Amino acid sequence: MTNSMSNLKGLLNKHYQISEFEEPIAMELIFDVRNDQLLDVLAFMKSIGFGQLSLLTCIDWIEKNEFQLVYILMNWDSGIHALVRTAVDRDNPKFRTIEHIYPGVKYYERDVHEFFGVEFDGNEDSFKHLFLELWEADRPMKKDFDPEAYSEKKYGMRKYRTEFPRKIGGE
Amino acid sequence: MAIGDKVEIKAWEKLGDFFRGRSIWMMWYCTGCGAIEMPPTMTSRFDMERLGMGPMATPRQADILLITGYLSVKTLRRVIYSYEQMQDPKYIVAFGSCTINGGIYFDSYATINKLDDYLPIDMYIAGCMPRPEAIMNAFNELQVKIRNNEVDGWKRYKKNYDQYKANQMKAVGEVFVHDEFHE
Repeated sequence: MTNSMSNLKGLLNKHYQISEFEEPIAMELIFDVRNDQLLDVLAFMKSIGFGQLSLLTCIDWIEKNEFQLVYILMNWDSGIHALVRTAVDRDNPKFRTIEHIYPGVKYYERDVHEFFGVEFDGNEDSFKHLFLELWEADRPMKKDFDPEAYSEKKYGMRKYRTEFPRKIGGE
Repeated sequence: MAIGDKVEIKAWEKLGDFFRGRSIWMMWYCTGCGAIEMPPTMTSRFDMERLGMGPMATPRQADILLITGYLSVKTLRRVIYSYEQMQDPKYIVAFGSCTINGGIYFDSYATINKLDDYLPIDMYIAGCMPRPEAIMNAFNELQVKIRNNEVDGWKRYKKNYDQYKANQMKAVGEVFVHDEFHE
């Protein structure tokens, strides 16, 4: 199995000049790719057996001013998980869909668009709401969104008097 | 005495409440984690049916809407939908601290904090989570209250309908449920 892992690394290095890999646990490989490389890399991964896209998710790195997209792939023959990561600009979050490579990503892209505001060119459904029906405020999973203030404004907090018992053995 | 006289209706209502209080059919809307307390309440360990309450499958046949736990806005829309399908008299029992003040989800963008803004609550069961004993105790009290004709949530809902509707609109925008797969 380590053989297939080093084989995979060699292939990625040879075709896409990716040299930095992380292996946090056995059978899991993490690597970053450039924005313009991502579709090629994913198509290549699919062709060598990574037939399943387990998840597309997004991380908001507010200090670096970028959204990181994480594509989690799995190969059922060798059992390897691969996490392919890429970064998009946070101020103008736009990327291309990979619907033609992994059709199931349609819903994950809707999810990411809904919670982070990343637009996926080519996915016609990506503007529809998936979880938050009739949502009007800012994207809720962004780091600069304040959920408590939103909750107080929209749903109201219940006002009540709190009484705590006096400390036993205190003054 | 004419048919529909006030006294007669009241007597009929009292009779109805007498029987109603002894056979409560509830529909639980398992929205949150509280639903996990219902199976032990229902099944052989605590066996709530011996106390005169049973599960019901549809809102149109149920007397009680039991809301177990936190409600996201999306769920609230469906709860209101279900509640308005139910026939009078109907009661709501709110279960767990999330329905009272938001519980641990008080600062969530997706869940409401005060359920009684949107629907009339007849009884709260506090706790996170309430034990099956607390549920049965609450239902016993509710049965006594129904028999004494003290529960009037559905009447309050009719009386203050505009106010409730305004609150609902503020939180959910629109009560009608859209479904992209069936429209």
